[in-house]
Amino acid sequence: MIEFLSKKIDWIDIEYWFYIFNDLSLLYIIVPFFVVELIRYAFLKRLNKDLVLDSIANVITFGAFLIIEITLGILAITKVYFWIHHHFSLPHLELNLTTIIACIILADFAYYWEHRMMHRIGIGWATHTVHHSSPHFNMSVAYRFGPFDAILPIAFSLPLVMLGFDPILVLLSEVFVQVFQTLLHTEIIGKLTKPVEYIFNTPSHHRVHHGSNRQYWDKNYAGIFIIWDRLLGTFEPEVEKVVYGISEPLNSVNPVKVFFHGIARFFRKLKQINGIKNKLLAFIKPPDWMPKNDTIYESK
Amino acid sequence: MKNSTLLFRSLLVIVFIAGGAHLVTYASQNSPQNFNSYDDTTSVNSAEKTSQYTINNETDYIVGKWIVKYNEKEFKGSILYEIQKEGNKFNAYTVSYLDKVGHSEKAKKTKTLSITSFDGYKGKGIYEIEYEGEIYDVDCTIDMVDENTFQLSYNYYEYNGFETWKKQ
Repeated sequence: MIEFLSKKIDWIDIEYWFYIFNDLSLLYIIVPFFVVELIRYAFLKRLNKDLVLDSIANVITFGAFLIIEITLGILAITKVYFWIHHHFSLPHLELNLTTIIACIILADFAYYWEHRMMHRIGIGWATHTVHHSSPHFNMSVAYRFGPFDAILPIAFSLPLVMLGFDPILVLLSEVFVQVFQTLLHTEIIGKLTKPVEYIFNTPSHHRVHHGSNRQYWDKNYAGIFIIWDRLLGTFEPEVEKVVYGISEPLNSVNPVKVFFHGIARFFRKLKQINGIKNKLLAFIKPPDWMPKNDTIYESK
Repeated sequence: MKNSTLLFRSLLVIVFIAGGAHLVTYASQNSPQNFNSYDDTTSVNSAEKTSQYTINNETDYIVGKWIVKYNEKEFKGSILYEIQKEGNKFNAYTVSYLDKVGHSEKAKKTKTLSITSFDGYKGKGIYEIEYEGEIYDVDCTIDMVDENTFQLSYNYYEYNGFETWKKQ
């Protein structure tokens, strides 16, 4: 058994499998599934100009996000990650089945916390609100990103590198979690079997996460495993029909407005706050936080 | 949920999963079968090592001295290696450096290449490369062109390396 679990795996094989799951999934599952969603929208007479323009805006925000991600990737991953890996890491883990599975599970756990922080600190929500601002819920919404969505994850993946996991494996695992998450953005799939719903994040659980209904706020942060939410007290099942979007709707399909509206709202909030200390606190306090005697914002 | 509970549960998850990964790696490296490991010693007692293997005429011709030419920013010249059979593996050690004009300098005997599998035509191994002052062990493949030449290639993330080894 230990021989099987610890059998060394070549980089070329790892890259091959992640290429199939991470890169090619766009071609063989995500795009075809989105086409099916469009057909469903047409069949239900919900395919309208707003939905099409919203989907286009989603893809454009992804392009902008990707530029930031690539720039950061070159700077952070090749420099900071490797530097940390060589100077502040536990003994380096070799590449075998156990370490790959462990890395994916821990990347998922890191994603849970990173996602929770995105919702629960001011600057996090300023960028992540973009993802939640669509009133629709389909595969294209998974690609709707804010300008700083690539930054916060770095702080949460560095501990994985410090635990001895290879930086590139960490990166590939993070993308794997994101790809899994992408597949959850659909209304087509209802609830799955109980064991699956208990362990894994599913479209039903993720619909709850995107709900603007009060009981659904800040719930179901999971990437792959919903057990993290169950374990850490943020799980909520889908009961009431989900109303997608945020409490203060954006009402725009302009990609520039979509991409920057969270940051713009955050700066407007900062203008209303008196004192440098309070302004700085607004970055790390919850999105609905305001100093005493000021207006209280809502987080979703 | 209290912050202390969140912290405790999170640490438990991390310790359990990362600890498991380290334990399996540790167990495999210290197992008597030593599934993946290769000998890391930098100096070798050839007589002692050679006594442990059986002769295989199909593969043993790789044993001997091999020279590799480099024309890179960091080093322009040649390096002479000696491949020795140790157990059922072949290891290559640096013997000497030769600069562009042919001046030779004895090298510290360091294991640079460990051939973990070789069938007389193709092989796999672990090659030691230096990049920006750091030493990395990377997987490599060996393809024999003829009895006196083989090509060693490796892929380190996106970087592809390729060397031609000539028998001396």
